[in-house]
Amino acid sequence: MKVVVSRSGGLAGLRVTWDLQVDEQPDAAAWMQFLEELPWDEAEDTAPAPDRYVYRIRCAPHEVVLAEPQVHGAWKDLIDRVRAASER
Amino acid sequence: MTGTDQTQSPVPFPGHSHGRATHPVRCGVVPPYLLERLAAVEDPRFEAAAEAARRSLRVDDPIRSLRFGDRRTSALPTPPARAVPGVTTRTISDAGHLQTLPGRVVRTEGQPPVADVAVNEAYTGLGDTHGLYWSQYQRDSIDGRGLPLDATVHYGRDYDNAFWDGERMVFGDGDGEVFNRFTVSLSVIAHELTHGVTQYSANLAYQGQSGALNESVSDVFGALVEQYAAGQNTQAASWLIGEGLFTDQVQGQALRSMKAPGTAYDDDVLGTDPQPASMDGYIETEDDYGGVHLNSGIPNRAFYLVAEAVGGNAWEAPGQIWYDTLTGGNLRANADFASFAAATATVAANRYGAGSTEHDAVLAGWDGVGLGFDPLQAAS
Repeated sequence: MKVVVSRSGGLAGLRVTWDLQVDEQPDAAAWMQFLEELPWDEAEDTAPAPDRYVYRIRCAPHEVVLAEPQVHGAWKDLIDRVRAASER
Repeated sequence: MTGTDQTQSPVPFPGHSHGRATHPVRCGVVPPYLLERLAAVEDPRFEAAAEAARRSLRVDDPIRSLRFGDRRTSALPTPPARAVPGVTTRTISDAGHLQTLPGRVVRTEGQPPVADVAVNEAYTGLGDTHGLYWSQYQRDSIDGRGLPLDATVHYGRDYDNAFWDGERMVFGDGDGEVFNRFTVSLSVIAHELTHGVTQYSANLAYQGQSGALNESVSDVFGALVEQYAAGQNTQAASWLIGEGLFTDQVQGQALRSMKAPGTAYDDDVLGTDPQPASMDGYIETEDDYGGVHLNSGIPNRAFYLVAEAVGGNAWEAPGQIWYDTLTGGNLRANADFASFAAATATVAANRYGAGSTEHDAVLAGWDGVGLGFDPLQAAS
């Protein structure tokens, strides 16, 4: 199982992608539970904001698109962790 | 003061009404284009005339501001004239590396520079941006009504971005590896502030082609503010957006090039600047609201071509045409490239005449990026 976080937008318009193989993590079971508990279907549409980031998060069969102001709580935790693992 | 003889020019001067009740300027003998020229004069000898012209133009200031309602509850302050319109009211705050706005106020209007370079760059950049809009287009701040200019620096930690949040400009410090602090580039500061101007005028929807136009307009005036502050004409200017923003570790000059979209950087890590320079390269994507930062290269290049053809200072006729298009009230929020192009041609024909150098330059500029159209139809 793979989690892919793709960040687009921002003033620079640069697209950055981070990913993580859940099965390869030492705490894979905790990851699985964390991913399953995310509110995948509850993200609300927000008005676009100039130059803010947009995050697309994929973990089959789930996919969600979040504007930067929506990224908090568990979503922020997820993005930070995937990014940190990806950049290790 | 010197130069009082110049004030005897037929510039209608509110307050010099010779005892008659008057609407100062509207019926004056000085045509608007001349008022605009006078208003733009910076020579101190002509200050009184320039100030009068600026005031005159404000009285005529378009109807556009009415569309958004008067957000100020009181009328404009009364004279002394120099303290009335066109005066900046800046407040710079420091987020202290948190992502909480607005942060702690660290410099307000009129206060001397502080030790923090990001604060001073933001302060000066806001002033420079206000300066172009006011002196060239007689627009008093973001909303045309003297809205105070607020900015926050040191937003977040290693934050690689700057944005306009609908009320203020927000600047990150960059990560130090790819990006320097975002206040380092005047074109970036002016880009953000122009998002505010767009919000209060055409309010171009931030999606697809209208979103790319929203981005392009911010780049256009971002570049123009930088050129105006540096006194650079079209030939001398770099036409780069965000020059100095990349660290030395990045193979690249800037975020974007208006003169040559797609050439701003070519780096091992960042890849190659993906901006298209014409409709042939238009990018269809779901990312970034339909690639608003990518396809903006097309109208960016069109503006550069117009400026190149007109010559001289790009903030004059080319900037005026774009400014009139943005604020004239005839642009739909969901305008596409073609309708924006047609609107600029109409503005150019109305202001400078059909078949004028400026009008021809606009037509050729859009044609140069694959957006040619029937000029007769556009000018009608």
